[in-house]
Amino acid sequence: MRLEMGHIYIKEIQFADTCKIEDGTLYVSAEELKKVALEDEKIKSVSFDIARPGESVRITPVKDVIEPRVKVEGKGGVFPGVISKVDTVGSGKTYALKGMAVVTAGRIVGFQEGIIDMTGPGADYTPFSKTLNLVMVCEPIDGIEPHDYERAVRFAGFRVATYIGELARDLTPDETKVYETCTIKEGLEKYPDLPRVAYVQMLQSQGLLHDTYVYGVDAKRIVPTILSPTEIMDGAIVSGNCVSACDKNPTYVHQNNPVVHDLFEEHGKTINFVCQIITNENVYLADKQRSSDWTAKLCKMLDLDGVIVSQEGFGNPDTDLIMNCKKIEAEGVKTVIITDEYAGRDGKSQSLADADAAADAVVTGGNANEVIILPKLDKVIGTLDYVTKIAGASEETLREDGSLEVELQVITGATNETGFGKLSAR
Amino acid sequence: MASYSILTNNPLVADKLKGKKTVEYVPVSYEEILKMARDRVYQGYKLLSHPLSGSVKPKETPYKSIMVSTRKEEVEAQSVRIIEEAVMACGKFTDRRDSYGPDVRKDFQMIDWTLLESAFASADAW
Amino acid sequence: MSKIKVVHYINQFFANIGGEEKADYPAELRVGEVVGPGMALKMNFGDEAEIVATIVCGDSYFNENLDKAKADILAMVKEQAPDVFIAGPAFNAGRYGVACGTIAAAVQEELGIPAVTGMYVENPGADMFKDKVYMVSTKNSAAGMRGAVSKMAPLALKLAKGEKIGASCEEGYIPNGVRVNFFEQERGSQRAVKMLLKKLADKPFETEYPMPSFDKVAPNPAVKDLAHAKIALVTSGGIVPKGNPDHIESSSASHYGEYDIAGVMDLTSETYETAHGGYDPVYANEDADRVLPVDVLRDMEKEGKIGELHHLFYTTTGNGTAVASAKAFAAEFSQKLLADGVDAVILTST
Repeated sequence: MRLEMGHIYIKEIQFADTCKIEDGTLYVSAEELKKVALEDEKIKSVSFDIARPGESVRITPVKDVIEPRVKVEGKGGVFPGVISKVDTVGSGKTYALKGMAVVTAGRIVGFQEGIIDMTGPGADYTPFSKTLNLVMVCEPIDGIEPHDYERAVRFAGFRVATYIGELARDLTPDETKVYETCTIKEGLEKYPDLPRVAYVQMLQSQGLLHDTYVYGVDAKRIVPTILSPTEIMDGAIVSGNCVSACDKNPTYVHQNNPVVHDLFEEHGKTINFVCQIITNENVYLADKQRSSDWTAKLCKMLDLDGVIVSQEGFGNPDTDLIMNCKKIEAEGVKTVIITDEYAGRDGKSQSLADADAAADAVVTGGNANEVIILPKLDKVIGTLDYVTKIAGASEETLREDGSLEVELQVITGATNETGFGKLSAR
Repeated sequence: MASYSILTNNPLVADKLKGKKTVEYVPVSYEEILKMARDRVYQGYKLLSHPLSGSVKPKETPYKSIMVSTRKEEVEAQSVRIIEEAVMACGKFTDRRDSYGPDVRKDFQMIDWTLLESAFASADAW
Repeated sequence: MSKIKVVHYINQFFANIGGEEKADYPAELRVGEVVGPGMALKMNFGDEAEIVATIVCGDSYFNENLDKAKADILAMVKEQAPDVFIAGPAFNAGRYGVACGTIAAAVQEELGIPAVTGMYVENPGADMFKDKVYMVSTKNSAAGMRGAVSKMAPLALKLAKGEKIGASCEEGYIPNGVRVNFFEQERGSQRAVKMLLKKLADKPFETEYPMPSFDKVAPNPAVKDLAHAKIALVTSGGIVPKGNPDHIESSSASHYGEYDIAGVMDLTSETYETAHGGYDPVYANEDADRVLPVDVLRDMEKEGKIGELHHLFYTTTGNGTAVASAKAFAAEFSQKLLADGVDAVILTST
């Protein structure tokens, strides 16, 4: 499959009367976007705000982060099965608005987490301190159930991101990149001497606020399957996961999956990047066995030489990660896994809830329990009301001088397990 | 119906499954539920759902529901490993159960319920 | 600002007093002197710190008079009241490494003065003390002095100043079980791709999180017929014939002993003793059966509970002995046990 990605750099976002993109500036009309967001009657109100890198702004509680994109050529549209029809995506031409993101925020449950600081020490830990963020805070109608609210905010974010992406349809990209994978036979003929490598992505799939959707299908209900790695660039995988801010994959991370992009960098040079294999992280242990068996089976059937496995979340997925690694290695396929650690505040506890000698090549996103002091910032988008209730916080979190003492857990993307950031630990 | 039993300290689970499934509701701590499951495992019951289900960290949520088999067999190595690691993981987190108001507790109960519920489709298939 | 005060500990060899023949050199405080590797430390410190005293102690003296040596040296350090204490580097010298680890840990724990040491990762002192004190990873010989000191000096300064200590790979210390975050140059996915390329090419790669390793030994099947089985005794408790004829070291043993107990019904204080250091040997010396139960097995032999007690036993001291050495000893004498038709072994320690 061949996908041309056109990058359009957004250097500034401003409120205006109408939505448009001109000379790298995105002008947004809050009124226009409000209509898009409020199409869902479950949302009572929405407010928009802009947070720029370096500003003294804290966004919390963050639900999702989305990169606006538009499909300009080829089959289907962005977010298939969610916003667009379910046509298979990943070929043709897609434009992405680089340097910006749509951030959805709102209190879905009382222990909602997710902090993005645009400046200060916290900014070093979140990738979204470097993007211009259009933040939408959604308030639900009264008496709404959390799962309805979650769904409403999730879809509102995609609608708004898609609406903004559409503004780029007739623009000329600042930069174009081509991503192309071969069919099995082509790959063997074209790269007979290169090792065959795939990316095994484990998707969070445990329940409300812990879900991921593939072409709109709840990932709990899938069996492991194969994607062209270009499909994710059109939004084939989206996040419904908003617990464990540090190591959940927001939709932005799915769209820009770093393992996919870095494997593409080597594709045709040192490796043949064959495909992406997706699997899940279900709660039921027999599901884990089936999924890991199948993942290993697919690796075998595809005659792979090596894979990178990424994880999402803590605890339960550790078991899937080790099962996948062990079984794939047992098929003779060399495996590198990416995870993060919960080694306790003092760093002395065992980092993962499972272990095996087969996992001899591990990349870590760092210890999520490490404590950080986030200074008081001038402006809060969203609310700090729940900050003492979030994971890794405590009653002492909100300190007298207005600073927050929290674990890295609360920072969106801090210890991402697809290797999105540079944080690590030894 | 598949033969399993649910160990839980979540009143919502007890309430939702009343008369429908075997639920052992015990109003103890998160860690105590894990230890109950551990005792079952050593008696020869199989662990059917992952004790560290959910991304809300152990003890940061007060609630936990775990599915165990009701047929006693040989002690199973995988169940032992998973439950022992889970009990150990509890030590890394601070017990926060007293710091939540009723609303937040309700949300935690609901999340624990959906995590458990997600296992039913598979558990009831055979 | 006044200079940071450092006390440096070295052994008789690095103080140019002599080798093994001088290893019984007692602890000595040299105030105002910079000796041997101290010169290299001094160079690295520049104007920031000075070595106010050097303590020299023979390796045998330290390990054989552990309590006294430790107390004496602690008193010397206390008197100098340094901001930081440095021991070694010990490279691959086993007893020196154990001494450095012991004294550095003691200074830190008992005097509350931060300490740093350095040694080769396979030095037995490394496993014993890497979790207790910052220990710079060095080469296995003194040829690695420059590299060792260039890591130990800045780490010592950081400790003295109470600065945050970074991750092991940044500071150069042997991983100590405490996970510390830091920012890498490349994002995680790039590191994963590079690691995979190395793994695919069968080149060495370094995992960022070594899995907790358990040296699992699958138990042998039970001895079916104990009444006809030949049982041998093996110990890491250091039981040897009186006088320790083969000079098995009290710590960091370099070899094991094989002794004949044909006709020996009981180990007495006249005939056997322990060579083991690091624990109170009084009860073992009084009656070595307490560690190596020959008497009880002779009884069982008589009662017909076991077939026979093998006439040879194997012994070494576990104290500070490198795991690799212990494995090599066992690999060797296990073959002898097999050749002698031994059915089962009772392994005792202290």
